[in-house]
Amino acid sequence: MYQPLAGYAPAPVTTRMENHGDHMLKVAMQSGQDLFARVGSMIAYEGFVQYEPNPPAVRQIARDWMTGEGAPLMKCTGDGLLYLADYGANVVVINLNGDGISVNATNLLAFDAHLTWGVERVKGLAKFAGQGLWNTKISGQGWVALTSRGKPIVVDCGGGEDETYVDPDALVAWSPNLKVKGKRSFKAQSLIGRGSGEAYQMAFSGQGIVVVQPSEDSTDRLRFRG
Amino acid sequence: MAREFQRGHKAKISDLTAGTDLYVGVQISGPGLTFDISCFGLDADERLSDDRYFVFFNQPKSPEESIQLLGAQAGDTESFRITLDRIPPQIQKLSFTATIDGAGQMSQVAPGYLRIVAGGEEVARYAFNGSEFTTERAVMLGDFYLKDVWRFAAVGQGFDGGLEALLKNFGGEVMEEEAPAAPAPQQSQPGAAPGFAPPAFGAPAAPAPAPVPAPAPQGFAPPPGATPPPPGAPAPVPNVHAAPTIVAPMAPPGVAPVPPPGPAPTPYGQPPQQQPYGQPPGQTAPPPPGYGQPPAPHAPAPPPGYGQPTAPPGYGQQPPLGQVPGQQPGGYGVPQGAPQGGAGVTAALSMFKETPTGQRWTLQNSKLVRVDLGMGGQPVLARQGSMVLYQGKVDFGYKGAGFAGRIVGGATGQEMQLMRCTGQGQVFLAENATHLHPIELQGDAICVSAESVLAFDESLQYEVRRIEGHGIPGGALFTMQFQGTGTIVVKTHGTPVVLPVTPTTFADANAVVAWSAASQVIVSSQVRMRRNAYPGDTGESVNLQFRGAPGNFIVVQPYEV
Repeated sequence: MYQPLAGYAPAPVTTRMENHGDHMLKVAMQSGQDLFARVGSMIAYEGFVQYEPNPPAVRQIARDWMTGEGAPLMKCTGDGLLYLADYGANVVVINLNGDGISVNATNLLAFDAHLTWGVERVKGLAKFAGQGLWNTKISGQGWVALTSRGKPIVVDCGGGEDETYVDPDALVAWSPNLKVKGKRSFKAQSLIGRGSGEAYQMAFSGQGIVVVQPSEDSTDRLRFRG
Repeated sequence: MAREFQRGHKAKISDLTAGTDLYVGVQISGPGLTFDISCFGLDADERLSDDRYFVFFNQPKSPEESIQLLGAQAGDTESFRITLDRIPPQIQKLSFTATIDGAGQMSQVAPGYLRIVAGGEEVARYAFNGSEFTTERAVMLGDFYLKDVWRFAAVGQGFDGGLEALLKNFGGEVMEEEAPAAPAPQQSQPGAAPGFAPPAFGAPAAPAPAPVPAPAPQGFAPPPGATPPPPGAPAPVPNVHAAPTIVAPMAPPGVAPVPPPGPAPTPYGQPPQQQPYGQPPGQTAPPPPGYGQPPAPHAPAPPPGYGQPTAPPGYGQQPPLGQVPGQQPGGYGVPQGAPQGGAGVTAALSMFKETPTGQRWTLQNSKLVRVDLGMGGQPVLARQGSMVLYQGKVDFGYKGAGFAGRIVGGATGQEMQLMRCTGQGQVFLAENATHLHPIELQGDAICVSAESVLAFDESLQYEVRRIEGHGIPGGALFTMQFQGTGTIVVKTHGTPVVLPVTPTTFADANAVVAWSAASQVIVSSQVRMRRNAYPGDTGESVNLQFRGAPGNFIVVQPYEV
């Protein structure tokens, strides 16, 4: 009776962060190597892991992003195995290794606490969505886990003159050195209710990558949980 | 995230998975056909120089057990366990073949696949169907071959003649009686994990043996009773490999077989002799028989502090966590080694890269499609808001649904909102992580329910078809019939089922996605066809009956809009 389930037991740990299936993240926790994770994303843990909601350092930065966007984080410390998930979203694990990445706040699941990170407002987009788009820029030596509704796609911007345009609702992450600007592509007919449905996009140019999810559902499920 | 292979595709195994302990499942079937699925271990000249490496129903494993036949399980007609790093150096290629036993030809084969599962995840799948073959009686499905590193190739090459001809092709000899080649399957060697013991076959001397029998009681049957076997019990060992996902827990023989999800004494599902996570670097442990145990050479380079046996965190000594006191606890090593394929953002995301092709429509993954507007030059009509990304100079304009569309909108309250994408560039389309299916029409026609259309070439003609029947909300059901030459992308919530149209094919009007236009649709109301109504249904839904010549099909999604 256990046979079909037996295949889902955890695989031995080989790295700090790993996927367990497509939709679950497994983090090997050790004292001294803390982790920031989205509040409410913990689904299971083994061992001694403690959670500290809104630690002081975060609160300071959080003051900047308490404008409605941004994701509350918790600090996880201890030894053990931690499992995180976000309502069945695909989890993408990245070892930064000195690189940097800019992540949409709702798509950030967890990252190593020792990484350099900061919240910034995406320039030029404030007037579009009404609330602006906030993202978290992370860089350093360590691990980051992102979520994506559906399997994401990574597009190379090419570095030429050509710009890559992304629907902000489908955007997950991008290379921080890309140039970002907003593009409003409405015509007069959009004003009379005849728009193409694609009123504004974000335009990226430069050397780097853009990660996009196959869904325009950017609802922050963790946030709306009671 | 299985990678889909087409015939002729090749890839390094290391690009698919870090592991070398692979499960290869083959699913092949056909009406009235039985299949023999075998694995040939070939040398550098592609000859079967050592017939101990011809793994088939009578010889279920190679001498050092690097190739093992596991039997039918988890939806696969036949399955193998391949341990790449234990394959001896003279074996350079493993060829997986399927041959028809008895009469028949490969064109009758139903859609099937060959897949590779590693570490509990399907990493590669090569799907095929009978239309790729003609009168062949055997097919070489795929190869593992050694070219610097082990690689996988989806071959899909048909072969006239049966198993004997295939064997001769590889330079083997067919014995009169195949019995001498067959080791007694029941005689499990001491080192073999019982879970891998092959099912008891029929008499080995049978000249035309049946294909692999249904799971035999030994090793494959569920253990009697719901309680886990007591520790140390020699039998029955539950076969943890019945599932296609294969991960760590695997009890060595003689040790307590611990089914992980059960109320087992060791929560990690690891036998007590083993280190909980990762092997300490210096340990010269014998190769664990556990199937999912990653081979040591593929563990990342142990950084300092990784799995040090002498400095365990206090946590590792907690007896409730499955540690046997006195054992060296490995604790939770937190290796920081680079992942497979290098570190950095680009490397970590390389598996999600855009797939380049020269086609107009390309499915990037199961939920995202890319259309290259530069090819063909004609505009694309897409559902409004379905664009997630575009590159190049693309213009998005409003496209009215037209007169017919307004009828749809008026009758169902759901007008199809389209936009026209024109210009030069690539547009990526997706919607709500639904599965997408590009259908290429070459003069034929298909009916699609209006809300399941994601995008289509403007060159296609479409018209609205009205299906009348009492009981349908709004008085009638509207579908769009597409005709001409071009591609239409249909979206489904979940993996759909494609059913052939038979005299008794019914579908829920809310769940049906598409059907071939040649089939006739009849509304069967629940009053008359009470048996087809769901019990307790509110009477809102309506069943559609499909009639048509053989060859017609319907597509149904597991979701009622």
